[in-house]
Amino acid sequence: MFLRAISRPLMAKVKQTTGIVGLDVVPNAKEVLISLYSKTLNEIQAVPPDEGYRKAVESFTKHRLKVCQEEEDWEAIEKRLGCGQVEELIEEARDELKLIEKMIEWDPWGVPDDYECEVIENDAPVPKHVPLHRPGPLPEEFYLTVGKLQLNSKGGTGESKAE
Amino acid sequence: MERSEHGNRLDTNSDYLFQLLCFLKLHTYTRVQVSIDICGVDYPSRKRRFEVIYNLLSTRYNSRIRVQISADEVTRISPVVSLFPSAGRWEREVWDMFGVSSINHPDLRRISTDYGFEGHPLRKDLPLSGYVEVRYDDPEKRVVSEPIEMTQEFRYFDFASPWEQRSDG
Repeated sequence: MFLRAISRPLMAKVKQTTGIVGLDVVPNAKEVLISLYSKTLNEIQAVPPDEGYRKAVESFTKHRLKVCQEEEDWEAIEKRLGCGQVEELIEEARDELKLIEKMIEWDPWGVPDDYECEVIENDAPVPKHVPLHRPGPLPEEFYLTVGKLQLNSKGGTGESKAE
Repeated sequence: MERSEHGNRLDTNSDYLFQLLCFLKLHTYTRVQVSIDICGVDYPSRKRRFEVIYNLLSTRYNSRIRVQISADEVTRISPVVSLFPSAGRWEREVWDMFGVSSINHPDLRRISTDYGFEGHPLRKDLPLSGYVEVRYDDPEKRVVSEPIEMTQEFRYFDFASPWEQRSDG
């Protein structure tokens, strides 16, 4: 009984390696992720609320934060989010924090409503011998975020960050 | 301005290049961490004749994107070396081959042209064989550069026409 009480926290599988060179295993990944996502949600308040960037970041950060808080160990988080390993998620969260800080410093908001990003669609057929590099399937939170952005955009370009 | 086809291309202004690449590198949904190539193209008929092209790869999402920026001879591009360390050599190459220089570049030297070379080889106005390319050993026991002497004049082949081409027209 004593042994069982000790071994219960060890029942969550210890991750041996991430399999990626240079990326170490983070044993308390869940806490790190939750703290990073809360910090991200704090920092993004400095961006004007109408911006597509803010909506996108809030959308996926809230989704990931919710998943992290609900699930217990890293394996369940990884499986549910479908976004790769938790160490990669930590990297992404850190980079996003850096990016928010830089965006606030550069201040690209306030694109006029009639600015239109010219998108040229080229439907020319690819010859058969050329291999097409199709990117893999995207995680479902990506589609959630895109859906939210298109819902809230007022008719101009929803993502006004490409200037 | 974007273009979506079987290869994505993004034309941009030169003011915001660094910010754009920083965004592409760090944002969670566009994790573009690898810069494959930076090269230039010379369109002599345009006002801003050069175009500097950044080929980028996102290993997370397995997709490539190409960012193009137009520049003329005096425009200075912001260096992206702090974002993509491999860009150092590519930017030196662009400077050497085209003459498009960078502001505050940590190390802008010539690469791949000779030490005393004047001019920028990949511009369209420098001829294929150059101006001072003939180098040979002298009684001075060193290599000198002289104006070029060619034994045969430059032959121009017009492949568009099916008839036999005569050398003097």
